[in-house]
Amino acid sequence: MLWLCIALSQLPLEALRSEETDQPLVVTACEGSARWIVCANPAAEHARLKADMNYTVALALCPAVQKLERSPAAETAALERLAAWAYQFSSTVIPGAVPLDFRQARSNALWLEIGGSLKLFGGFRNFIAALERELELLHYSYQLGIGPTLEGAALLARAGIRVVVPSPSALQLRIRNLPIAHLALAPQVAGALHTSGVRTIGLLLELPRDAVIRRFGVEVGNFLDRLTGVIADPRPVFRLPARYAARFDFEFDVRSSEALLFPLRRMLHEFAGFLRARDTGVQHFTITFAHRDAAGTSLDIGLSLADRDANRFLALVRERLEHLELPAPTIGLALAADRFAMPAALQADLAHGSLQQNEELAHTIDRITARLGAQHVHALRQIADHRPEASWTAAPLQAARDSPQFPDRPLWLLQEPKPLQLSVMPQIVSGPERIEGGWWDAGDLQRDYYIVHLSNGADLWVYRDLGEHGGWYLHGFWS
Amino acid sequence: MNRAETLQHLAWLCRNGRAVAAPTVEASGWAELDAVLPGGGWQTGTIVELMPAAIGIGELRLVLPTLARITRAERYVTLIAPPYVPFAPALAQHGVRLERLLVVQAQRSEDILWAAEQSLRCRSFGAVLAWPTAVRDREIRRLQLAAEAGGSTGFLYRSVDAAREASPAALRLKLHKAESSELQIEVVKCRGGRSGMSVQVAAPCSGCA
Repeated sequence: MLWLCIALSQLPLEALRSEETDQPLVVTACEGSARWIVCANPAAEHARLKADMNYTVALALCPAVQKLERSPAAETAALERLAAWAYQFSSTVIPGAVPLDFRQARSNALWLEIGGSLKLFGGFRNFIAALERELELLHYSYQLGIGPTLEGAALLARAGIRVVVPSPSALQLRIRNLPIAHLALAPQVAGALHTSGVRTIGLLLELPRDAVIRRFGVEVGNFLDRLTGVIADPRPVFRLPARYAARFDFEFDVRSSEALLFPLRRMLHEFAGFLRARDTGVQHFTITFAHRDAAGTSLDIGLSLADRDANRFLALVRERLEHLELPAPTIGLALAADRFAMPAALQADLAHGSLQQNEELAHTIDRITARLGAQHVHALRQIADHRPEASWTAAPLQAARDSPQFPDRPLWLLQEPKPLQLSVMPQIVSGPERIEGGWWDAGDLQRDYYIVHLSNGADLWVYRDLGEHGGWYLHGFWS
Repeated sequence: MNRAETLQHLAWLCRNGRAVAAPTVEASGWAELDAVLPGGGWQTGTIVELMPAAIGIGELRLVLPTLARITRAERYVTLIAPPYVPFAPALAQHGVRLERLLVVQAQRSEDILWAAEQSLRCRSFGAVLAWPTAVRDREIRRLQLAAEAGGSTGFLYRSVDAAREASPAALRLKLHKAESSELQIEVVKCRGGRSGMSVQVAAPCSGCA
């Protein structure tokens, strides 16, 4: 087994907020009556704030610092989204358990078994390049490590050693001189090791195992055995769900839809990764905006062709979002999809030459529909009904079909016939054409249609109502 | 190629390089009109302004042969913000394949122009007919670029008053009804051709269509 570890040291912060900010920002957690920094963004680190610092001290150092409350649930949700995304690169994905102790919160990680995937991606270099290209779109701070055991890969990632370490013996050599601090040990164990003078991993591994267990507990001994591959390290493997449901909860209110685009971008890229993992696409998905004091707002995104391109998804969502009035600030996002379909571009009939153009057409129509609304973008269809207003209908583009035959008809029809005051009878070009019918669906009508010619050159389609109302009406233009 | 066409072609090459297919000319379906248009018809990749004196004089009939030809050649046509309901039975009578005709209803001027640009840019559309409420030179240039990229022709319907102003559109036609009930087409501007010409097309009245 060869494991790739994606170590996410900033996950407590990045699970709550996906965009970068120039303002000092820290994630904190309470222990007893004290509040501690869990992790700090680059601006806060620049102001000399760092993890495990007391928040009161931090406030004294940098009064402008803003704080978010650590949320293990948000970290779990982020790891689950990432695991679904990572499935495109490996069929064995292990999301690490989110540590409850905030001092270990920076050791969040995700593992992929890559021994089986390297060939598929054309070698190690291509595999890492493909993975990093996708991973960078998600805007997480990450480090990669590749090793023979889960803990070994995680250790290499945290230590920033970007070298493939294929065997346990090579791993022992590699990590010998690393400081103890890189190990994900409980804080009190790390402190005890430090005071007993065990500063490097090599020294710790050389200690007799019995002594280590007696002095620091069974768990440390177990951990070292799992690290070096002496004992197996079974963990629950991520299973790709049949439906997609992802959440992103913020620890603050988002008021502008522009700011929602950052988390949406990440979610849509993760979603696209899931679709690649399932080797499928979607025609329809739903984004729900959660509000504190109001029911969530749902946005249904439909596409005319199945697709899995995150940028196209984002363009459609952005267009819809611009015209959407959210009733309250947003505190969370959810993305759901339950029906999947093979993207048209990957379907078997690639021989069909105009496929690319069909896709372009579908994307264009989707964009226009997203901006103007589905009811405003349509094709036309004829209906076999003699009444002019019932002889056409708006129809979806694919459904329109030529059908019945009518006598000569004007190109423009008025939505509603307009009453005419005729002082002088205009020149009649042809008519009358008697159109009757409709009593069966309450649209009862009896009309004589004429084509009349006006002095300004226009030809009008007018009729005389033979029913109870009587009078002349304008119903269309010859154009 | 005559001198004017050569110059125009050179100017076009300067603007586009060789990346885009050279424009082609497609007959309008009206012999009298084709006779005065450079190349003998509508040029793809251009914007054509149609400025009818009144509604119902044949301003839509004028482009119907084009629409029929495009939709029969498996390409699409968009009508954006038409002033009335484009009447499906009549369009079908004139040979337009309805399943290749898209109607986009939009109210705001920027939506109309945006939808026009989007459809012009898409190579699946052969022609885009739009009825903008207001349009400025800069927007026409944008549409012009989109039409060149998509290889389609954009027909903009404007009020007859617009004929008095200048416009970057390649072809500008003023339409009114002649005494003889034919459609009188006045060429206000014609890039690569002569403006000021006037032709009549036997057309668009009822019964004789």
